[in-house]
Amino acid sequence: MNSDFKKRALPAGVLAVLLGGSGAASAVVNVQCPGDLNGDADWDDVVDGVAEVRPADNIKCMHLIAGDSFAVMSDGNPLYTFGFKDITGTPPEEAIADGILASEWPGSLIELDEGDEFYLSLTNVGTVIRPDLFDPHTVHWHGFPNAATVFDGVPEVSIAINMGATLTYYYKVMEPGDYMYHCHVEATEHMEMGMLANLYVHPRQDATGCTGSIPCPVATRKGGTDPAAPTGYVYNDDDGTTAWDVEKAIQISSFDSRFHDASLFVQPLPFALLDADYPMLNGRGYPDTVVEGALPAPVDSEDGKVTGTAGTELTNGKPTQVEDAVVELAQGERLLLRLNNVSVDRFYTLTAQGLTMQVVGTGARHARGVDGKNIYRETASVNFGGGETKDILIDTDGVAPGTYFLYATELHQLSNRTELDGGMITEIVIN
Amino acid sequence: MIKHPAWSGRLLGVLAAGLALVLPWQPAQAQHDIRGITGPSFNLYTYPANIPLPEGTSLYMWLFGDALGGANATHPEGVGYALPQYPGPTLVVDEGDEVTITVTNYGIPHPVSLLVTGHEVTALGGSEGVFTRQAGLYETVTYSFTAEQPGTYVYHSAGAPNPGLHVEMGLLGVLIVRPDDFDTSRTAYGAGTETDYDQEFLYLLTEVDPDIHFEMERGHYTHFTNADRFAKIWFVNGRVFPDLFEDDYSPIYPFQPYSALAKAHPRDRVLVRNVNPGQDSHPFHYHGENLTYIARDGRMLSSDGTTANLGRSDNTINSPPKQAIDAIWTWTGKDLGWDIYGHDTEHTCKDDDNDGWADDDADYPGEWCADHGKPFPVSLPGPGELAFGAWYSGSPFLGDAGDLPPGEGGLNPFAGYFFVWHSHAEKELTTFDIFPGGTLSAVVVLPPDVDIE
Repeated sequence: MNSDFKKRALPAGVLAVLLGGSGAASAVVNVQCPGDLNGDADWDDVVDGVAEVRPADNIKCMHLIAGDSFAVMSDGNPLYTFGFKDITGTPPEEAIADGILASEWPGSLIELDEGDEFYLSLTNVGTVIRPDLFDPHTVHWHGFPNAATVFDGVPEVSIAINMGATLTYYYKVMEPGDYMYHCHVEATEHMEMGMLANLYVHPRQDATGCTGSIPCPVATRKGGTDPAAPTGYVYNDDDGTTAWDVEKAIQISSFDSRFHDASLFVQPLPFALLDADYPMLNGRGYPDTVVEGALPAPVDSEDGKVTGTAGTELTNGKPTQVEDAVVELAQGERLLLRLNNVSVDRFYTLTAQGLTMQVVGTGARHARGVDGKNIYRETASVNFGGGETKDILIDTDGVAPGTYFLYATELHQLSNRTELDGGMITEIVIN
Repeated sequence: MIKHPAWSGRLLGVLAAGLALVLPWQPAQAQHDIRGITGPSFNLYTYPANIPLPEGTSLYMWLFGDALGGANATHPEGVGYALPQYPGPTLVVDEGDEVTITVTNYGIPHPVSLLVTGHEVTALGGSEGVFTRQAGLYETVTYSFTAEQPGTYVYHSAGAPNPGLHVEMGLLGVLIVRPDDFDTSRTAYGAGTETDYDQEFLYLLTEVDPDIHFEMERGHYTHFTNADRFAKIWFVNGRVFPDLFEDDYSPIYPFQPYSALAKAHPRDRVLVRNVNPGQDSHPFHYHGENLTYIARDGRMLSSDGTTANLGRSDNTINSPPKQAIDAIWTWTGKDLGWDIYGHDTEHTCKDDDNDGWADDDADYPGEWCADHGKPFPVSLPGPGELAFGAWYSGSPFLGDAGDLPPGEGGLNPFAGYFFVWHSHAEKELTTFDIFPGGTLSAVVVLPPDVDIE
């Protein structure tokens, strides 16, 4: 029974990909990555006797697919999703087959260093569960400074990639900080469906340290050996005030199950009535937020909502929810929370009860005034809407070891639809 | 690659399709100011009107209008404009002005009033209301105050029997107070505050629940419970996508005079007055580059009163109801890593003053010379593999109108870079259940040789 679902889905998807788009006959997975000879976006191969060579350390490549899949909410309800997945290393001729029913929620993390030249290839593998759709997709790097429209991923004012084809985005990465990326095509629908992911950029100071009036050592993530060296910095602060030891990117999001079920069952989408019932951190409601690593691959619910049979495997057998939201650190360490909010319909306020949050940046910029003074803010809560990012430092020096909770102060959001004690809660464990 | 001569053809196409963008740009002007009417004395009236929505319906509103018919309009196209409007007239006064606003209610079934954020207002006439004196049908109230500090403020009506109803129905607008040295120094908060700007645009955010408007239109004035309000249409400057791209005072939208398409050149300092007179919070996201906050609710974000040194940077403005944020947005095109004018177009990057930017008399003033001549880093897929936006020029290069398949593009006659500015609560990109709609507005960065009115 498990394989029946896939058997039906896969040919439909392949057919959709082959037929979709006006240029399908010429469509091809064309990954562009300097020094990569076989189109898998890495430099690990020998092609026709020639070893691939990475042109420079600051050249980075990634191959993302955009497609559809399922994610299981913490109450066991499987929701149909659209999303992204990193398939770097997959040969291009296998990219579409591997990408079908493989998208992740949230999408794969993108982590970069300031100064990188980033070649991001996006292959649209189509939506196999909805072969009637022929949606293009994009990557919008939310907050990218001095963007060019061609790489900004907004379909109304730019270009988007059709099914079965690949568009390579190029970013010269100049500003460290916390961003996000998402698809901007039919933005309300594709974002509600889950085409959302974490993205952040480490500062140059990690590798250089700083030599200003308050010197700071090279960070350990860039080889620093100073006993006082932190793992990294959030920004090029030149005073060490954004040093951190443990980091965690957490995406604040929410799904409206009625919207996802309407999409699954090919019904009109409720835009105006959109009203989320699954608040999430990194694509999970509590208690799944504190399950470390990947959740099991999605299967159908007890009532067989999707396939009619409970337990039917809904994807290609791989997990689709790989990012947890739990944080563990030792007393005395400085925790960096890279928070980004992608909720499509409401604001949220997060608190870390018992811990002091210091906001050192917003919108991927260091909180520093035009006169050069830091304008950090200590607070017990941060309120933000979709599109806002906050760099939060929590110093655990002198904090009693134990389990602390990071959660929405809108306490009616602490549920997974009708299941209570869920939703937007996770744990910060201090040992 | 096709260069500037292609503009005229594209332009004619736009006109023929009845989708004129923002025409004409007058030559020899480079700066945009927010449209409105000037004080210090205003004579407003209130009256109902039905505004059109792009999906073909209309919406019954209660609106402010200028009883003087645009006699004191800030710009020529506003002269003679006397209709009730959404939002209400943008009132522009000078710091220190003794402002009087006379409001006469010619047709709203509830008594109307005027509250102005950040000001101590004296009201005369009419009858006593909940917050201030109010004007019943055919009554007049005069509101007066001193505009003591420059900045951006909200005005709106509110009163019995339902304080939440008037803003919902459209009785709202913005007051802009210019610094007293504005004639000699184009700043938001006065010379020396580093709040200089080249372009100035209003981003006024509101939302409505159409069910309430249906009830009011039918005269069911009590068929409205605040608790049931659930917004379904989201506006910028009183219009929704795509109407908001149309020019100011377009006759197509007789009751919605204000455009929400910002225009800038590379390196221009764009003053954005991000105001939410509505009832719900909106996270308004600006593509292209971050903004630097300079003021909130008409007070500079400053620890010393000199400069806006407490202003942070963000790309999304958290906009709760009645808040006004002033922020500066600047797009430079610096460090893209490729020549934004196309490395194989014939041009040089003349930088005699060695500041890194092309000089004013260069081929493309303001070009970042370090990127000059660098090739475009990737090859784009063929037209069959791409979907094209209506505001895409067909080329990755600024000012370069590329070839597009028939029927694609066409709304970007000057081959600018469009960056959308919109609510990032993406639900708010819909108009009454239809996507795209709502708050999907934009800025267009124009090539340096295209003038901005």
